[in-house]
Amino acid sequence: MSQTLSVCHLGEAPYREGLALQAAALEARAGGRAPDRLLYPDHPPVLTVGRSPSEGSVIASPEALRQAGIEVFEVARGGDVTWHGPGQLVGYLILDLDQRGRDLHRFLREIEQGLIDTLGAWGIEAGREPGRTGVWSRGEKIASIGIAVRRWVSYHGFALNVAPDLRFFDLIHPCGLRGIQMTSVAKRLGDRAPSMDEARAAVASQMARALGFTGWVREDAATLRRSLMEEPGVPRGTHAA
Amino acid sequence: MPISIVVPQLGESVAEGTVAKWLKAEGERVRKEEPLVEIQTDKINVEIPSPGEGTLTKILVAEGTTVLVGTEIAVLAGAGEAAGAPASAPAAKTPAQAEAPRSSAATPVSPAAKMPAGEEAPRVPIAAQVSAPPPRPAPMRAPDGGGNGGGGNGGIEHNRHLSPAVRKIMREQGVTLAEVSAIPGSGVAGRVTRDDLIEYLDSRTSRPGPAAPAAVAVAPAPPAALPGFAPLAPAAAGPREEVVPFTKVRKLIAENMLRSKHSTAHTHCFDEADMSAIAQLKKEWGPKLESRGIKLTYMPFFIKASVLALREFPWVNGEVKGDSLVVKHYYNIGMAVGRDDKGLIVPNIKDCDRKGLPQIAAEVNDLASRARADRLRPDDIQGGTFSITNAGVFGAINSSPVINFPEVAILGVHKIVERPVIRDGQIVARPMMNASIGFDHRVIDGELAVKFLRRICELLERPELLWFYA
Repeated sequence: MSQTLSVCHLGEAPYREGLALQAAALEARAGGRAPDRLLYPDHPPVLTVGRSPSEGSVIASPEALRQAGIEVFEVARGGDVTWHGPGQLVGYLILDLDQRGRDLHRFLREIEQGLIDTLGAWGIEAGREPGRTGVWSRGEKIASIGIAVRRWVSYHGFALNVAPDLRFFDLIHPCGLRGIQMTSVAKRLGDRAPSMDEARAAVASQMARALGFTGWVREDAATLRRSLMEEPGVPRGTHAA
Repeated sequence: MPISIVVPQLGESVAEGTVAKWLKAEGERVRKEEPLVEIQTDKINVEIPSPGEGTLTKILVAEGTTVLVGTEIAVLAGAGEAAGAPASAPAAKTPAQAEAPRSSAATPVSPAAKMPAGEEAPRVPIAAQVSAPPPRPAPMRAPDGGGNGGGGNGGIEHNRHLSPAVRKIMREQGVTLAEVSAIPGSGVAGRVTRDDLIEYLDSRTSRPGPAAPAAVAVAPAPPAALPGFAPLAPAAAGPREEVVPFTKVRKLIAENMLRSKHSTAHTHCFDEADMSAIAQLKKEWGPKLESRGIKLTYMPFFIKASVLALREFPWVNGEVKGDSLVVKHYYNIGMAVGRDDKGLIVPNIKDCDRKGLPQIAAEVNDLASRARADRLRPDDIQGGTFSITNAGVFGAINSSPVINFPEVAILGVHKIVERPVIRDGQIVARPMMNASIGFDHRVIDGELAVKFLRRICELLERPELLWFYA
């Protein structure tokens, strides 16, 4: 296990490109050529459907989604449907689970803990709800988690609602749960809410600690993207410059 | 031999997983390590790679079905098998089989990902079990639309109403399904709860009368295994302690080391060599090879000297099989590569007797860098006949290395140190190196080991002897 968590703000990344970057980072990690990583992509609005979708999770019609410019992706992560987009802090966790004893539930609980601790430091009381993975605050959902594992390396990760337009969640039943209310850090804190940059740093610190790292280091996005483009087996042309 | 695909362990608190998606269809060919199926637990979706090469003959559990960890979900016909299809043509010999006589069954330490299919599979800690696995609990839920109607195994119906907590106790206490079905349950619809089971267990131990079924509470005999292989209680960290679970590679290293130590008559002897001549050769040839992109280390010299000594003392280049020694007239020389926390690995260079020093040097560079980058191919770690380990790179001046089983000897080389030695009655400083040999005393007598090691040292000290031995 690497001692420190490498953290990189990838910047603007359409969802498809995000998938390719994750695939490359995963191959590099599985091959022992890269450290454990937390990657922050900035996704344009997108709906993603996990491997356990329930009927009618997407409320909006395909037509309405197309008009709104929202793409829908089916992805190999756990969980149901969710929305990603501006104002939300999406974190991909590319971690070698083989070196963490392959304990998937413990991994989920550690991710939750990292988010709970971050929110706690901002003065937002948050916690778990048994049987409903994710992070909740006063009965409302503030962060979602969906993980996939290949070659015992994790990918996908978490999505913390920092200051998104929560109306996007009206398009769906988030995580397939009916009558669920989504909330955000901005909704709770108003003017005192952290900026996205502050949120990225705070989550990196708490996540690194919850996952048992001694600390975290920042990775340069341009350098990282270049190195990932050289990963063998990753289709060319899927990475934007 | 068919390979059984089971839901692997996914964590301490994970008792079951859902088959989310089959990535291969029945009848489809599957390469080793190719993603086979996605298993989901909670909000994690795990791609399970195929433990071997072959044909997916039977999918036993449909998508969307939740089953217990350890449940068999599919069967793979191994590479080269007829896959059970009646019309299939005689299976062509796979490269793996063709290689078989040369590649020994027990590989040296290798990442599980690179283990060959076949006999070694039971040790692959992924979801494969080659032989008949121990009886496992039946699937939790019938496939959708299965409409079992209570037919078939009644245990399934019953089992599906047992909570993970109850099943855990059953496993730990060796309680059978039949026993549990005899317990009047206090839960919803008469289900047996955890408390019911604990109460039953209390009564079972307190009155050994007719209520206690025979043959209960007899701990299953542990499978015959080498000492130290027996599963131990999971470690728990005390204050100021840390539990570091073994990685796959570490488990394999542990097993191979124990196997070597327990199944051979391990012993060692030591010698030393004046490295002046080799140091001179290296100094002279290093820059020349450097210009061809080859970094010259001492290892190629050790390899070449070993090959010459092995040709003179062929028994050292062998393997014990039953009551015989199989002597090999090819020289695939392994070199131990330390990889920090990733663990030791011993790739080998093939046919070192037929290669010149520059080529061996190039292959040493290549194998070492690929070993560290985790990019070795299965072939790199199979079929070795003799190994060399250089503890000197870390500063050791002597060591007693463990034989890379099933080989019968290993050469240890060390740090070259300027030491005072006597030459022609004068005390002079010379670059000296200790050499050691670990050997299997069942087949190699001390005399042979000493002579063999001496010859290696002589060849290093006086490279001109190559004229006489090569």
